Amino acid sequence: MKARTTVKLLVVALALSVFLLGCAKKPEQEINNTKAALDSAIQEGAEKYAKEEAKLLNDDLAAAQDEVKKQDEKFFKNYDKAKEMLASVQAKADSLKAEIPARKEKAKTDAQAALDAAKTAVADANALLAKAPKGKGTMADIEALKADAAGLDESIKEAETLMTSEEYFAAADKANGIKDKAAEVSSQISAALEKVKGKKK
Amino acid sequence: MINSAIRTVILLFSLSVLLGCEGAPLPPEVMQAEHREHDLWKADAEIYAPEEYKQYKLALRNGKDLLAKESSRFVWFRDYEPIRTEFVRILSQGSKTLQEIEKQKQIKSHSVADQIAFFQKRISTIRGLSSLINEGRVSCSSLTKAELLLSELRLLNQRGKFADAEEKLKSLPKYTSKAIEAISPILNRYADDTRIRKWRDMVNDTVNQSKERGIHSIVVSKVDRKLTLYHNGTPRKTYEIGIGTNGSKDKLYAGDRATPEGKYYITKKMQRSRYYKALLINYPNDDDRRQFASAKKKGLIPKYVGIGGLIEIHGGGKYGMTYGCITMENSQIDELFSMVDVGTPVTIVGTAEYDNNISSAIKRL
Repeated sequence: MKARTTVKLLVVALALSVFLLGCAKKPEQEINNTKAALDSAIQEGAEKYAKEEAKLLNDDLAAAQDEVKKQDEKFFKNYDKAKEMLASVQAKADSLKAEIPARKEKAKTDAQAALDAAKTAVADANALLAKAPKGKGTMADIEALKADAAGLDESIKEAETLMTSEEYFAAADKANGIKDKAAEVSSQISAALEKVKGKKK
Repeated sequence: MINSAIRTVILLFSLSVLLGCEGAPLPPEVMQAEHREHDLWKADAEIYAPEEYKQYKLALRNGKDLLAKESSRFVWFRDYEPIRTEFVRILSQGSKTLQEIEKQKQIKSHSVADQIAFFQKRISTIRGLSSLINEGRVSCSSLTKAELLLSELRLLNQRGKFADAEEKLKSLPKYTSKAIEAISPILNRYADDTRIRKWRDMVNDTVNQSKERGIHSIVVSKVDRKLTLYHNGTPRKTYEIGIGTNGSKDKLYAGDRATPEGKYYITKKMQRSRYYKALLINYPNDDDRRQFASAKKKGLIPKYVGIGGLIEIHGGGKYGMTYGCITMENSQIDELFSMVDVGTPVTIVGTAEYDNNISSAIKRL
């Protein structure tokens, strides 16, 4: 009787061990899928438009891999937690990838708005220059301001090139600088025109 | 008895497997060290302390391996104290690196700010010089680009993107050099001692002539934009003037919009002129003709272009730019007109001072 009980207990322990070891299939496929999801998000532009989130996902992937390693070292392996972690990273990577086009589009829209504002400011400056006196008086200043405006025109082209190469943040920075400088040139032209008006009185 | 012992061991083993796997909590330093790694990354450790960052990540990796090994031990035998000690060491290594990065960033930030200030000053100097010689049109395009770059640099500095700022800084000299290149042929004339000595001699001759003959004479200094009327060798009146579009150059041929340099005299007083009143001078003189012939021979001027003429001191306002004439306020030409005669010497020079506005500004470039 006692021997039968012992055998039963051994069977239970064995079953338990088998159960625990049975869960121990290393999540290779999950790791590969998660890596692929992350790579795909990065290819979409995550490192440019969601740099910190991309880094955090990389860290989470590393943590999941650490968990796999931890289980690898154990006699009774349980990759459930690692699988959960990997699934979470994969889901976040997929979600991030889905968000990138919108962020990219926003960056593009913002940059385009900045560029349009810069173009308007430069056009205003050029329109003022067209009104400037053609003879003597403040011509030296006007000629210099025309050169300033020419520099702005060339810089607009540089900002457009940045837009074409999808460098939206750099394009927006350049465009904002152009807009400010164009406003400065316009106010200098106005001051020069006032000087001429004052002289004519 | 044996069966009972086996039963107890199996039961305890099963219970410990099912209930006791949690074991002791992980040392908090593990999580802190991971956060520190993120802090280092955010602080651009890859740029400012690449080797230290690599070492930190390696230490963190090794620490985690140790942790994994320890965690894999049977719950009763786990001892996280050595792990904690190791992670304290890693954290301290990370803090040190972080401090070093902050220090480096401060240095970089000051360095970028200093360079921005340096280039801003340089651009202002070049703008001032360009304006002084009426040559803004050849330099301002490059200067505007340089200023735009400066505004981008200020943004990068504010955002702590010092490496990007340093990279952008490299292209600044290209624009300032281009602007200097455009104006330096003219500027250098005003820092050339031999040329200035010649101009000084011309001015001294004219002043002496005024003294010896007790007459009026006129000296025009282009760099100062001043016309001085002498009588009996003494300056009597100084007027502000404007000169040609290319007035800082010596006139060589018709249409070059430069103002001639040399010793002239008034050939005609014009009560009525397109620009109020005018005093015509004898440009071209013999020196001008020689210079013109030589330049033509060397192919320095267009083949079918003449030497030009009709250089006047006239009214219309003191602001440049003329086609080469000297222009002044109407009220002042009235005054001058009444004091001078046909034959009054007129000497036009770049400057009579070795230490003039331009030569001192060139030293600051």
